Amino acid sequence: MHVHELNPKKTLIVLVAFVLLLLIGFLTMKKPLINYQLDMKQSIEMLYDSNAYFHPSKLVDVLNKTEQKVVLIDLRNNFEFGQGAIPGAENISTVDLTREENIERLQEFQKQGVTVVFYGEDQLEANGPWMLFNQLGFNNVKILLGGYNFYREWQDSATDSLMDDSYIRGVPRYDFTEVAAGSILSDEEQNTDKSSINITRRKKPAVASGGC
Amino acid sequence: MNRNYIFLTLLMLVLAAGTWLLKKPSEFKQIKPNDLLWEMIQPTRYVTTDQVAKMIIQKDPSLELIDVRSANEYNEFTLPNAIHIALDSILNSANTMYFGIKGMNVVFISNDDIKSDQAWVISKRLGYKSMYVMKGGLNRWYETILDPQQPPETAPKTDFEMYAFRKGAQLYFTGAQVETTSTQKKDKLTIQRKRKASVASGGC
Repeated sequence: MHVHELNPKKTLIVLVAFVLLLLIGFLTMKKPLINYQLDMKQSIEMLYDSNAYFHPSKLVDVLNKTEQKVVLIDLRNNFEFGQGAIPGAENISTVDLTREENIERLQEFQKQGVTVVFYGEDQLEANGPWMLFNQLGFNNVKILLGGYNFYREWQDSATDSLMDDSYIRGVPRYDFTEVAAGSILSDEEQNTDKSSINITRRKKPAVASGGC
Repeated sequence: MNRNYIFLTLLMLVLAAGTWLLKKPSEFKQIKPNDLLWEMIQPTRYVTTDQVAKMIIQKDPSLELIDVRSANEYNEFTLPNAIHIALDSILNSANTMYFGIKGMNVVFISNDDIKSDQAWVISKRLGYKSMYVMKGGLNRWYETILDPQQPPETAPKTDFEMYAFRKGAQLYFTGAQVETTSTQKKDKLTIQRKRKASVASGGC
């Protein structure tokens, strides 16, 4: 006969204590502020969602204030931000993005259905933070294509240059194969160079052209 | 007496069943979001086209180029010894085995640097070390290595040293024919002979 069986209540007390301890442990477990909400597969699929990108042409409405539900966030550092930024943009450097107050702000925006647009000097600068925050479940975070550089190019020349698609990334702008193969470029130049040699022969003077 | 044991057994079963409710851990080991952000802001995660060219020319055995463009683009042109891994199949186990090999430096390349940067973020989330992105991608590769532009005369000396290196790299990557183009690039040659006055043109 075991000792504890002498007092059945003892078992009960131990059991209750055990369950309570477990519950307390689970309840006080600190939940991290941010966590990945998209798994790896979804994180890749998200990149192919055209909705996650913000084209510079849409900026016009934001700047005119006809589109109210968009907040621009400048990810560059404070110094660069001070030298010039898109009007109305808010400055949160990439380093500070995961600070508690900024996370809470972004969560607030998400609740209100406000679109948050990240931008940096170029698209590359905002690419990482944009991907991260989408993976963290902020599906209202978009990336400004072309970044600040492209905005600065067209800010004065208004809407006509918006048709310019030089901000599109990921397309080859040169024919790599031709140059790598070597000869094509050089052949053409050789031919044109050769044909342009222009020799004007002197006119033979007629023997009896002048004379007395 | 037995009642206690039954009670205990039931409790343990309930608790065990409770573990089903716990979130299923991902099949991949991941780094924390904060760490990922920290990795992102390190400028050392980019390499320049010149650095890559140098490594290829020196046949650096630690260089592992990964081309994340489409298969068609890869077949048409890529950098020497680059491996093709499309961005959407980057997590296949056949592909992830190229990452995180000790002593190897993985460099992602694409047309620009966006797609390669995306591949970098995805693979970095899994905690792989020694991953890099070639800044500017193949478009800048073309501008700097395949077709380098001579710096203006007022440029600092380092620019000219860089240009000299790029000119050499250009020969390495495009074959020797290019040399002929540079010598052929003379001004239009126009020979205009002076008209000789004919002996008897004038007279007394």
